[in-house]
Amino acid sequence: MFCIETKNLTHRFSSSETVLSNINLMVPEGSIYGFLGPNGAGKTTTLRLILGLLKKQTGDISVFDKPFHLNRIEILQSTGSLIETPSLYGHLTAIENLTVSQKIYQCPKERMTEVLKLVGLENTGKKKASQFSLGMKQRLSIAVALLPNPSLLILDEPTNGLDPNGIIEIRELLKKLNQEKGITILVSSHLLSEIEKLVTHVGIINKGQMMFQGTLDELLNKQRESSCIVFDTNDAIKTAEIFKENDITAETKDGKSIVSIIEKEKIAVLTEQLVKSKVKIYEISTIKNDLESIFMDITNN
Amino acid sequence: MKVFSWTLPIIKMIRAFIYSFQSEWLKRKRSAASWLVILGAFFIPVSITIGRIINFDSLYAVNTSKEAWSKVFGWAWQPMAFFLLPLGVILATSLITQLEFKNNTWKQLHTSPQSLTTIFFAKLLAVITMLFQFFILFNIGIYLAVVIPSIIFRGIPYPEAAIPFMKFFKIDLKFFICCLPIIILQYIVGLQFKNFLIPLGFGLALYVGSMMAMNWKYGYTMPYIYCALNFIKESHGDQPKVNIYIFSVGYFILFTIAGYILYLNKKEKG
Repeated sequence: MFCIETKNLTHRFSSSETVLSNINLMVPEGSIYGFLGPNGAGKTTTLRLILGLLKKQTGDISVFDKPFHLNRIEILQSTGSLIETPSLYGHLTAIENLTVSQKIYQCPKERMTEVLKLVGLENTGKKKASQFSLGMKQRLSIAVALLPNPSLLILDEPTNGLDPNGIIEIRELLKKLNQEKGITILVSSHLLSEIEKLVTHVGIINKGQMMFQGTLDELLNKQRESSCIVFDTNDAIKTAEIFKENDITAETKDGKSIVSIIEKEKIAVLTEQLVKSKVKIYEISTIKNDLESIFMDITNN
Repeated sequence: MKVFSWTLPIIKMIRAFIYSFQSEWLKRKRSAASWLVILGAFFIPVSITIGRIINFDSLYAVNTSKEAWSKVFGWAWQPMAFFLLPLGVILATSLITQLEFKNNTWKQLHTSPQSLTTIFFAKLLAVITMLFQFFILFNIGIYLAVVIPSIIFRGIPYPEAAIPFMKFFKIDLKFFICCLPIIILQYIVGLQFKNFLIPLGFGLALYVGSMMAMNWKYGYTMPYIYCALNFIKESHGDQPKVNIYIFSVGYFILFTIAGYILYLNKKEKG
């Protein structure tokens, strides 16, 4: 079952500017879904549409298997969110900011202390939110999102502006929430490296179009598939002939022969044959595309 | 059970509204608007108190007069009705709606589990309650402006005349009603624009326009004119051509409906 599902979600800010085109987002229940894309790709617009902050134009949005526009209040009762910059009342303290939401969600008052402890802000006392550092504001916003004990958490770039320690802390917190409380998390980012250690599923969006969607393993497979072995020899033609005799397709680039990943044994056989054919081997190297390169490839395409 | 089942959604709605109002009321804590209410309410009473202490000679005569309370009440309301009250309402309402824009919290509010109707009316009620709070503080200020000199100076008696509660209550109520069109118009404009100067400029322009239209035969159609017209009516007995209270309430209802529709149809909600 999908916790969030959009069908052919399309959005235009003007008749000439289509910001989202047929987005079919599928966030499985219990997953941590990383929604990736460069700045301006349409991530925030998608999340704002899912949360009803933007009026839906074309397509369908279902959350918890229910159409959003017909069940808005019920869905929002179980959804915590943080969209872009922190949303806090600067003239109020941390506990007062939480009380503003606690009144609406009607959750127990003890829950406020719990979430403050969870994000490490239990000792901020009478300090106003406007005096908080960006990291503290971000953590307090997450505390506000966690206040209603949500089943779904939608976070738009939650680690923006955080130092490396803060990023790790938030990552660990989200993992814990997902594993211990089974909260489904949809988290957006423009940096794959930042969330690859966190997510179970990935969606990549670029220029308003979904470029990839699947599990992290599927993305890792794509990474493996795109890795290759480079043979740098003195005779590229002869090398290519030998590869052909062994049913291996090679591509020649800058005098080097490039083949997709093959078994170790096969590399040994090819090397032996090349040496026997008096081809001089200068270098055999493996190029492993990291996830970031895959992400760049997908988004550049 | 059947008798009660239909009331449940209504009870649920009322409860949601009360919680939403409590949340809105908390937001105004320590805000510029809440300080404005307190300072604005006590500004004139404090000025009157200082003025009375300086003009010590006239204190005895005023406090022993049968009109002791009414005189001070009238002195306090004159600048308030013409100038401070309309401007204060313009500023305070704009500041309250600005809270969400300034703190970037519209998105948080609109992703909370409450209907847009609840949000719109709970916030409006918070603004109206602030006006109510202002009237209470202003009247306390007037009371203190009469009493404080008799506490400070031995020879000045506490006024013998009884406080004309009903008279003051009726006058306050009339001014309160006259403020409603200003509140709702400022509220509508404040909800629409992120730039604080737009509702403020809009309010000032309408206020100045209303003052300029005081002698115009259709001046009573200006929604920001009623506080001034009410003061003239109460102090000089000049009857306006129309019932200004009906006009005030009429404008309030009309603009509330218009504002509500505009708010519901806002394309971006944070």
